[in-house]
Amino acid sequence: MLSSVQSLAIKALEGFLVKVEVDIAGGSPTFAIVGLPEQEVKEAKDRVQAAIRNSGFDFPLRKITVNLVPAEIKKTGTHFDLPIALGILSASGALSNLAQKKLEEYVFVGELGLNGKIHTCAGVLPMLISLRKAGSKKAVIPMSNKEEGEFADVPNFGAASLKEVVDLLEGNISFHQGYKSQTVEETLENYELKEDFSEVKGQALAKRALEIAAAGGHNVLLIGTPGTGKSMLAKRFSSILPPLTKEEMLEILQIYSVCRMLGKGKKIFQRPFREPHHTISNIALIGGGANPKPGEASLAHNGILFLDEFAEFSRNSLEVLREPLETFKVTIARAKDTLTFPAKFTLIAAMNPCPCGYHGHPVKTCNCTPVQISRYKSKVSGPLLDRIDLTVNMNPVNYKDWQAKSEGETSAQIRERVIKARKIQEERFKNSKTTANAFMTVSEIKKYCPLPQGGGEILELAMKKLGLSARSLDKILKTARTIADLEGSTDIKKEHIIEVMQYRPLDRKGVSDI
Amino acid sequence: MKAEEKLALIKINAFTYLRADWLERLLEIFGSGEEILKQNPKTLSEEGKISLETAEYFLKSALGLDAEQEIENVAKVGGHIYIKGEEGYPQEFLDIKEPPLVIYVRGDLNTTLAPTVAIVGTRKITPYGRRATAKIAGDLADAGVIIVSGLARGVDTAAHAEAVKRKKPTWALIGTGIGRCYPAENKELALGIIENGGAIISEYPFFTAPLAQHFPRRNRLIAALSRAALIVEGEVKSGALITAKMALEQGLDVFAVPGPIDSPTSGGPNKLIKEGAGICLDARDIIDALPINIKSNLETKEIYKEKEEPLDLSPEEIKIMDAIGSGESSIDELSVKLNMDVPSLSTILFSLEISGNLRCEDGKYSKAKI
Repeated sequence: MLSSVQSLAIKALEGFLVKVEVDIAGGSPTFAIVGLPEQEVKEAKDRVQAAIRNSGFDFPLRKITVNLVPAEIKKTGTHFDLPIALGILSASGALSNLAQKKLEEYVFVGELGLNGKIHTCAGVLPMLISLRKAGSKKAVIPMSNKEEGEFADVPNFGAASLKEVVDLLEGNISFHQGYKSQTVEETLENYELKEDFSEVKGQALAKRALEIAAAGGHNVLLIGTPGTGKSMLAKRFSSILPPLTKEEMLEILQIYSVCRMLGKGKKIFQRPFREPHHTISNIALIGGGANPKPGEASLAHNGILFLDEFAEFSRNSLEVLREPLETFKVTIARAKDTLTFPAKFTLIAAMNPCPCGYHGHPVKTCNCTPVQISRYKSKVSGPLLDRIDLTVNMNPVNYKDWQAKSEGETSAQIRERVIKARKIQEERFKNSKTTANAFMTVSEIKKYCPLPQGGGEILELAMKKLGLSARSLDKILKTARTIADLEGSTDIKKEHIIEVMQYRPLDRKGVSDI
Repeated sequence: MKAEEKLALIKINAFTYLRADWLERLLEIFGSGEEILKQNPKTLSEEGKISLETAEYFLKSALGLDAEQEIENVAKVGGHIYIKGEEGYPQEFLDIKEPPLVIYVRGDLNTTLAPTVAIVGTRKITPYGRRATAKIAGDLADAGVIIVSGLARGVDTAAHAEAVKRKKPTWALIGTGIGRCYPAENKELALGIIENGGAIISEYPFFTAPLAQHFPRRNRLIAALSRAALIVEGEVKSGALITAKMALEQGLDVFAVPGPIDSPTSGGPNKLIKEGAGICLDARDIIDALPINIKSNLETKEIYKEKEEPLDLSPEEIKIMDAIGSGESSIDELSVKLNMDVPSLSTILFSLEISGNLRCEDGKYSKAKI
C-alpha cells in the first residue's frame, strides 16, 4: 500500500512543502528513509516505531520505504516524525476511509517521543509563514509550538500526541483554532519597556550619541573605565529605538523559531539585545555549522549587537562582522547551497581605555605603559572601525551627578524625537534601498548632505588643528545629517558638523603635537 | 686617523654591551682598533681581562658590523660619524666619565658655546606637564636656547615639538640608532628637528633597535651637552631623575617645575626641589642661571618684558575656561556644572580648541597653555 502525507521543510528561513511518501510492501521487515535525510531525520525510524506501538497501534512488520519529495534537497530537523508516522498508519490500513481523506487537508509538523507525545520542534513559524504564502492549508503542529504558530496567520491545530492527531482525523475531536486574545499590533503598542534611560545618571555625551545612533542607524563605540555605565546604556538602547513593527517582529520570531529559542512564555515584543562573550567563535557569531544555523549577528536582527570588551575579540571574529554590517545579512556559501540569514542590527561596541581599564580614571591609578595603551587602542583600528560613526569617551559619574535630583530625560521623550527623525528619513529614502542616514551611498551623501556656508572651513580647521583624517569626512556628513534631522532642520548647519567632532575622538592625532 | 682605523673603531663600537670606558681600556691595552680586531677571543680575554664569553661575543658583533655600509647609510640620510677626538666630535663629551667612542649625528651639531638647556621628564605627561613644557620650552627656544632632550614620549616630545613649532633648532639624543625612529609616531617630529637646524645624535650603530638598557645611558649625553637641566614631570623613580643625577654629577644647574603634592608625576621634581634644585616658574629662572658668556648671545628682551596678554574670549567661553580651571573636565561634567546641553557646549568647546586655548585628550578638556 502507498500513502502520501504533506509536511514542510526549511532552508535557512525559507520553508517549502515536502511530500512524505510511504510504501509498505511484502518482504523481510525493513525500514528505510530516502530523500537526502540528515542524521536526525534517519533516527525518526526508531522514534516512529516506538511511538506508533505506544499509542496503541500495530507497527507493520513489512518492508517500509519512506521518501521525502523533493528528494534532491537535504532534509534536516526532527519534525518529519509525525508525518512519517501518519504515512505508515495510513499505508498499513490503520486509518478509516474518512481519516484517509482528511489526511490530505492538513500539513503535519511534529517530533515524536517514544510514548507517542508530540514535542516542540524548530522552525515552525517560518514553515507556517511559507505555507500561508503557498496557499491555504490547515496545519497540525506541536501543542508547545502553538504560541509562535499563531503569528503565522494560518489555521492550525496544536496537537499533544499522535493519538490526538489520529482522533482529529477520525473526527473524534474537532479542529479548533487557537484563540487570539490580542492582536499582534495591539500587543506591540501596549508593550512597556522595563528599562529606561532616565535611570542612567550623568553621561550626557554618551546619551546624546546613542540618541543620534538610534535616529540615524549609526553604530557606536563606547570607551570608558569599568563602571561608567557602558553596558547599562547599551541595554537601554532599545528603549529609545522606534517600537517594533509587525513585519520586524515576524522576522525576529522566525530566526528565534529556527534556533528553538521560542517556547512557552518566551515572547518577543522588544528589539533583541545580544551580548556575546569575546571568546565567541566565528561561527557562533555570524552563523554556520554543519546544518547552518543563525549566529549572534542574526539573533540581533532588528535589534542590538553589543560587543563588550571590543578590543579582546579576535581580529578574525571582528572581520567576519563586516559582511552583516555592510549588507545586513549573512550568507553562508556551501558547495551545494547558499543560505542567507538576515542580520540587520545596530552595533554597540564597548571597551576599556587601556588594558588595566583605569587610564584617565580620576582616583584609581593606571599601571599601563604608554606603549601598552597605544597598542590596545590600535587593536580596534581597521575596517570595522570604519563602520562605526560615533565614538564616545565615557568618564565615571561623580557623586554630585548621582545625587542630582532632576531625573534625566525618559526614554519615551528621546524616542519621540528619534521617531520624528526616522520619519524624515523614510520620506527622503522612499525611492531608494537605503533605510537610514547611516547607510547612505556616496551619491546620496552628495545629494542630501551639502556642506553649509563655512562648513568647509570648519572641516579644514579640524583637519589642521585637531588632526582629523580626511577619511572620516563621509561619516561626519552622515552623522551631521542625522543631527539635523533630529532638530527637524532641512539643511545641515555648522553647529551640526561641529557637534559631530565630539564623536570622533579616535580620529585625532595621538600624543605627538605636530 | 687612518681610514682603516676609523672603520675598526666603528666596528668595535657595535658591541653596545660594554660601556665606552671599557672599550677605551681595550684600546689602551692593544694600541689600536685594528689590533683588537686581529686578536682571537682567547688572547683578547686574557690580555683584556674580560671573560672568554664576553670576548667571543665582542668579536662576533664587532666583526659582524659592515662599517663601510654604516658610513654609506649615514651619508644617505645626510649624517656623519664622528670618532672620539676627531674634528666635529663634541668637546663636551670628552669631559664626562664615559665618553662615547663613536657618535652618529644627523643634522647640524655645533656645540661650541651653544646655549643649551636639557628638558626631560616622564613619558606619562599630564595636561599640566604639557602646558608647563610648552610654555617654558617655547620661551627658551624663542630666546635662542637650544632645547636638548631624548625624543621619548611625553615631556621629551612636547619639548622638541615646541621648538620645532617655533622653527628653532633642538637636539635629540636618542637611545636607538639614527636610522630608526622610536617611538614611531615621532617620525614627523624627527624630520621637523632636522629641517629646523636641529640634530639627532646617537652613540649606537645605525639600525640599533630600542633596547631598554640603551635609554638610561643616553641620559649622560643629554647632560653632557647641556648647560642646565630642567625636569618638568617625573615619578620619584624615573629616567628623568637619572638625568638629573647625571647633570648634578657633571656640575650642571638642575631646575624642576613644582607640581601638586599628590600628583605622582610631580613627585620627582618636588623631591628635587626639596633637595635643593632650582625652582623653575618660567624660562627666566633658567636663563638667569646660565653662564654670562652664553647668556650674552641670547635674545632675552622679549622674555623679560612684563606682558599681560588679554584673552580675546566671549563671556561664554570664559565661563567654560573657568569651569575647567587648571584641571581636566569631560563634556559631561561641564554639562552638569554649567547646565548646558551637549550640542551647545560642543560649539563653544570646538572654537576654544581651534583657537588653541583648550586641548582635548580621551574626551577630557584641559587648558592648552599657561
